[in-house]
Amino acid sequence: MDVSQYLDIFIDETSEHIQSLSDNIMALEQEPENKDVVNEIFRAAHSLKGMAGTMGFKRMQHLTHDMENVFQEVRNDNVKVNSSLIDILFRCLDAIEAYLDQVKATSNEGEEDNEILIKQLNDYLNSAEGGDTPAEAPAAAPAEAEAAPAQSGSDDKAAFKKIKMEPELVEELKRCSNLFGFTVHINKECLLKAARAFLVFKAVEDFGEIKAYDPSSQDIEDEKFEFDFSFVLCADKENTDLNAIIESIKSVSEIDSVEAEAISADIYEKKEEATVEPAAEAAPTAAPAAPAAPAAPAASAPAPAPKAAAKNTKPAAKPVTSRTIRVDIEKLDALMNQVSELIIAKNSLASQSNSDANGIDPNTLHENIEYLERITTNLHESVMKVRMVPIESVVNKFPRMIRDLSRKLNKPMDLVMTGEDTELDRTVVDQIGDPLQHLLRNSADHGIESKEERKAAGKPETGNIYLNAFQEGNNVIIEVGDDGGGINTDRVKEKAIERGIVTAEEAENLSQKEIIDFLFMPSFSMAKQITDISGRGVGLDVVKSNIEALGGDVEVKSTLGEGSKFTVRLPLTLAIIQALMVEVRDEKYAIALASIMNIESIPVSDIKYVESKEVIHLRGQVIPLIRLDKILDFGPKETTDEEEDTMTVVVCKKGDTLGGLIVDNLIGQLEIVIKSLGKLDNNKLISGATILGDGEIAMILDVNAVI
Amino acid sequence: MSDLSVYETVEKETKQYIIVKIGGEHYGIDISYIDNIVRLTKITRVPKSPSYYRGVINLRGEVVPVMSLRRRMGLEDDDFTDKSRIIILKLENAGLVGVIVDEVKEVLTLSEDDIEEPSSTLRSKNSFISGVGSNGDELISIFEISSIIGESDAS
Repeated sequence: MDVSQYLDIFIDETSEHIQSLSDNIMALEQEPENKDVVNEIFRAAHSLKGMAGTMGFKRMQHLTHDMENVFQEVRNDNVKVNSSLIDILFRCLDAIEAYLDQVKATSNEGEEDNEILIKQLNDYLNSAEGGDTPAEAPAAAPAEAEAAPAQSGSDDKAAFKKIKMEPELVEELKRCSNLFGFTVHINKECLLKAARAFLVFKAVEDFGEIKAYDPSSQDIEDEKFEFDFSFVLCADKENTDLNAIIESIKSVSEIDSVEAEAISADIYEKKEEATVEPAAEAAPTAAPAAPAAPAAPAASAPAPAPKAAAKNTKPAAKPVTSRTIRVDIEKLDALMNQVSELIIAKNSLASQSNSDANGIDPNTLHENIEYLERITTNLHESVMKVRMVPIESVVNKFPRMIRDLSRKLNKPMDLVMTGEDTELDRTVVDQIGDPLQHLLRNSADHGIESKEERKAAGKPETGNIYLNAFQEGNNVIIEVGDDGGGINTDRVKEKAIERGIVTAEEAENLSQKEIIDFLFMPSFSMAKQITDISGRGVGLDVVKSNIEALGGDVEVKSTLGEGSKFTVRLPLTLAIIQALMVEVRDEKYAIALASIMNIESIPVSDIKYVESKEVIHLRGQVIPLIRLDKILDFGPKETTDEEEDTMTVVVCKKGDTLGGLIVDNLIGQLEIVIKSLGKLDNNKLISGATILGDGEIAMILDVNAVI
Repeated sequence: MSDLSVYETVEKETKQYIIVKIGGEHYGIDISYIDNIVRLTKITRVPKSPSYYRGVINLRGEVVPVMSLRRRMGLEDDDFTDKSRIIILKLENAGLVGVIVDEVKEVLTLSEDDIEEPSSTLRSKNSFISGVGSNGDELISIFEISSIIGESDAS
């Protein structure tokens, strides 16, 4: 069965399930007794397992299966949830995510078995089943841990002695008088390991019957083993020469070495007992081997069919990125309605041009065009809405991150998020994750003080980090902040002087905002010591440039001792904007309407000077003036005889700062499609271009860069 | 038909070049880079861009930057005539870029053997020439497209 066509859906749904698991496990940690949460987790784990199985991702299935086992027991009240279980579960989630990443990149789940995790899961289950005596857990753990490296074959004892067997098989082996154990090491360069193994088995089968394999014969066939495998042979004849068998194995090429020994079935029996013992002592009724045993056959059973599929996709492994988007059916309905309206508008235009043979009535034509205009505007809005996705998909991984950081840094802290349903363009949402994550890490690492410091400052021990998202006009604002120590501007100042960015005298005159802006400079790190969480100096500058690349900006407010707040402002949409068209000399420029506050006609005589910079005083605010013709590299204006006595000022805002752009002429409002400038795209003042109705090109001013 | 057989024998390493004239000299541009040749249209200035970019044009709804080869090579400024053309180059990772030439002459097939490495005296730091070929008496400098388009300090 070719499942590659379902890969996209698989990736989408798996991420969803992982997210839901992560959310619910967090919830479970808060209230371990909540059965609804457990049920939800169980369902998600079950779906994950099912999907992984269908797609033929056996390792992933194996892991989720064991997770499901644990949840099953939790659901049945056989296992208590504690923080160590939560830790294991989170690590499992990480492992599943790693599988998913691998699948995304190569259409394949990769080779990581995560045996240790699976072992931990099963250990937890076993120890918990064996009664709640905590002493039991450490006892069982070393025993199992010992078995783990043995399976990889790098043990002093030959690996064939460690083959796990069902009791029935051991019984069967006992009936055979001539037992030999083999561990074959294949050359590490060998490409067709499965083929070599097959040849070995073929050679050995001349001497008798192979009773047991490690890994399973299916796995060996699928090349799911490292560079060694073991098996137990029951020879047909009495007194079979062991050396003859070894020779025949070695005759297969690319075999490095063979360990072999005549054995008796007893060793397997003993081993079986050895693993049973610790748990059995505590709870004789429980069957400790049970959870592990069914897991293995379940994983290998559905192998043959998906295996073929996996092999097919292997050579053509292309990175699969999720290009799909889920759309609310209501949005699609709205879109559909508008398209039908568009058709009606077209029809009425068509009928008009057909019927009025003696010239088109300009009034009706005008009406129709207005109608069409309304429809296209609505259509644009609807299409934009279809592209909009809630930022939820990005921010809902943060609670988990903060939890991990809180443990790692040993600072208790809570993350409170609001406005997760705020919608943003898909492309923006995809790229906003990293910057936000960085800001949160920053808050957790630098912002929140240690428990002791907080206590001393009279604050509650648990730090608060918040993430608020909301829409404001044509922007979406995301605030990330904390109630920590705030930014110590004096220290930033010292650092800036130390690094030679400003002189001590200059630093004296800097405003607080200007000082904080130093933090956004490349490789300006305030951390006293570099941790792996932050402090490497590749931080806020990257955050800033990432956000600016999306057409947004970031601001900081901080009060020493009370915390700091980063405000990220992002445009709602990217491709089409409402703009004011202006003329500067003979060139046309577009200014995004969203950043315009108002337009003023101001007498030239009103220009005042502050620090020899031109400003105007408008309704109690001092607004610096920016002469567009100057910054846009126009030559000096040819002085006409009569200087105009009024000028047109477009007052724009960038966050809280205002600026008045002096333009020569206003043309009007226009809905423009933003086009890239191609090779010239890294322009500082121009954020793009647009093609006007007459085919002319107008530049779009990047107001954020101008002010 | 006899022509055809001749072509087949020389087929080893020939490339087609569009021969253009800039300031009295002939230059060749590898035809595989060329997307299009258009007449001069209105070029919209882009403030704060390198001076050798004259601006952008509207190429059937796409905004395409246009570079003046004369300015790029430090020659005297363009003199637009009826014969001036914009050659639209298609580059793998930089999209479309137009270059202004004085005149487009012809398409020429040159084999590797016809093109010589420029001598070291010709090969200054800001050279955009990858070789010199000949067509009869005329010398044709072959443009190295990547160095023309690529960022350099020539601005």
